[in-house]
Amino acid sequence: MKQEFFALSIVLTILIFPVALLGYQMWRSRAPGTQVVDLVAHLPEEGGFTPDRLRLVVGRPTRLRVTSSDVVHGLTIPGLGIDVETIEPGKVKEIDFTPTLPGRYAFACTRWCGADHWRMRGVIEVVIPGEGRGEFVQPTVEPPLYQQLGIDLDAVRREARVIPQARPSALRGATLGVTLPSYLSDPYTRRALVPAEAYVQLRAQPTMIGLNDDDIWNLVAWGWLREVKPEALSRAERLYARDCAACHGPEGRGDGPMGRALPGLKKMDPAMPAGPADFTDAARMLSASDAVLHGKILRGGMGTGMPEFGSLYTDEELWALVAYVRGFLFGR
Amino acid sequence: MRYALSDISLIRRILRSRWFPWSLTAITLLFFVLVVWAGFFGTRVGSRNFGIVLVWIVWWALLILLLIPLTGRLWCAMCPIPALGEWWQRRALVRPRPGAKLYTWGRKWPRRLRNIWPQNIGFLLMALFSVVILTEPRATAAALTGLVIIALGVSLIFERRIFCRYLCPVGGFIGLYSQVAPIEIRVRDRVVCAGHLEKTCYTGSNAGYGCPWLLFPGGLQANAFCGMCTECLKTCPKDNLGLFLRPPGTDLLRTRRRGLDEAYKGCIMLASAFAYSAVLIGPWEELKGAAREVGSVAWLIYALAFLTLNLLIVPGLFWISVRLGQGSRPGSMHTLFTDYAVVLVPLGLAAWMAFSLSFVSANLSYIWTVLSDPFGWGWNILGTAQRDWTPYFSGWIPYLQVLLLLGGLAAAIALALHTTHRHGRSPHAAVPVAVFCTVATLALMALYLA
Repeated sequence: MKQEFFALSIVLTILIFPVALLGYQMWRSRAPGTQVVDLVAHLPEEGGFTPDRLRLVVGRPTRLRVTSSDVVHGLTIPGLGIDVETIEPGKVKEIDFTPTLPGRYAFACTRWCGADHWRMRGVIEVVIPGEGRGEFVQPTVEPPLYQQLGIDLDAVRREARVIPQARPSALRGATLGVTLPSYLSDPYTRRALVPAEAYVQLRAQPTMIGLNDDDIWNLVAWGWLREVKPEALSRAERLYARDCAACHGPEGRGDGPMGRALPGLKKMDPAMPAGPADFTDAARMLSASDAVLHGKILRGGMGTGMPEFGSLYTDEELWALVAYVRGFLFGR
Repeated sequence: MRYALSDISLIRRILRSRWFPWSLTAITLLFFVLVVWAGFFGTRVGSRNFGIVLVWIVWWALLILLLIPLTGRLWCAMCPIPALGEWWQRRALVRPRPGAKLYTWGRKWPRRLRNIWPQNIGFLLMALFSVVILTEPRATAAALTGLVIIALGVSLIFERRIFCRYLCPVGGFIGLYSQVAPIEIRVRDRVVCAGHLEKTCYTGSNAGYGCPWLLFPGGLQANAFCGMCTECLKTCPKDNLGLFLRPPGTDLLRTRRRGLDEAYKGCIMLASAFAYSAVLIGPWEELKGAAREVGSVAWLIYALAFLTLNLLIVPGLFWISVRLGQGSRPGSMHTLFTDYAVVLVPLGLAAWMAFSLSFVSANLSYIWTVLSDPFGWGWNILGTAQRDWTPYFSGWIPYLQVLLLLGGLAAAIALALHTTHRHGRSPHAAVPVAVFCTVATLALMALYLA
């Protein structure tokens, strides 16, 4: 009888043992006063982030435990200053932080994980404690430049009537020793200006008579890129490599592997090219102002397959990216 | 020629103790429970899940590479799957009830199903879903839980270990290949058995239960159906049963009536070794994809091809080779087919060992991470959770595979000649079967080495 009792206790211990494991996990995960949140990354086709909506409390320490259930993912929460470059399958990464401002913060996957990678997004709502449903007021944001200028981002643009014979060089433009007119030196007016128009205006100036067409284009290039800070370009380069190159290609030719099946502008006009924009295509790039490019990155392309990045990038990052993609044509 | 290991006093005490093999079963039950929990509640990433790594890498490697070739059906003695059902049947864990009473409806297994055809079908059905089962933790957990439920249900309805004897999809091939093992449980002297009227080895006694595998140990000729539970050693009042060391493969040389079910099992296991190798470690991504997408048209085509290979092509080719060997001589093709099928035992076992070596070498290093973080919850119990993957002895694997396959081929050809001789024919009659074995071996080598 004693032997049976001993054997039965062993079996029951074995069967109940996993409950102790759960208890250990709960004890291990505990952090007094800390909100612990588990975030699992799946392939976009399998649901993306689970959950994709999180609610945190301002001022409360938070532990975000992130893992992947299939392939390597990444995570960025720009508004909260969180960047996890690699979330390996089956491994858990813990990030401790304390949200200090109420608001809505987008988060997204930063490693190309599949054809629908760009859909892998979510939202974190940081609410003020003790305010019922946790309503908050979004800070007032200035409308983007394209809206201020009344530009229709989806209007079909004509190609530039004048394009350079050789690839313009901002570097060569800088060495010409020419004082740029205000419509090129003032960022606000320049961003509303189309480069092809800037060329026409420069070409018409009497002071530019001594310069050949290539020099004028080089001045245009220099005017567009002269004020971009190196650190901003560096940041833009990293963002481009992370988020854009897969579709637009590492050289900006629109030949990235993930962009092959995208409809591009062809969806709006069969005469337009399919696929992602080619940033080295002078006829198209020189007919688009920076405000248009900024708007496209911010809002995305309606039905073209271009995702929106306005929820993930700051305004400075957006303008830096615009300057970066200009660099595929203008040099850096 | 055999040596009684059970005459060594320590071994004898262990074998006759009621705590053997119960204590082993308790250990495997612990791992089994962890496997199921990890499967249902742990990470879905197979390489980081204790369930996948322990079952399909560690356990499988131990089973195919060590347990079966060296100890026969010893795994069956400690398997946790029928344990709950058996304990419920006995209403006891360790000590037998008086008179070895079993609390079950006690139905007899249908006579028509007293063969391993159900096991053959069960194995094929599981094999069709194996790419999913082997890689998805939840699928593994569901499959194992399903087997436990079936075993429990069967033990409530039928007598003894019917599940193990006739239904377990794993038991079918363990039994087939256990005939190679160098150990056996047999009687010492059949004359003693003849004079023992109570036959407590089969009926049971206060000392233990009658053979749960429905065998009469006195007439046991092969390891194929003996689960090595040692109940017979415990119940025999004449101490006429023992654990013996013997030359490997002795069972295959013994003349006994073999059924078509066993012969087909040999064909199925050989065909499956080839199919598993092609799908799981071959270079054909489309094949792997088809095997993974259960329910799709591609999968249906794959399933059809798999079943055709196992049930028609390989048995058909083997039948042809036997027929060619028979020539114009009279004789039952059924008998020849089932007798020659013994060659498939060493051939198939060598194929499975060669296959297992490759994926074990590639995947065994995952054991360190899952021991530290069994559920993928971010634990690091042993400090090895972040250890990188690394293959072990990968440079040796091709050589070992060739050695195994050649060894299996040599044993198969020797058995073919033995069978030919037993049927009173010239050695030339074994040539077609030998050619079949050689072609199969070369095909496997091409798969592993090309």
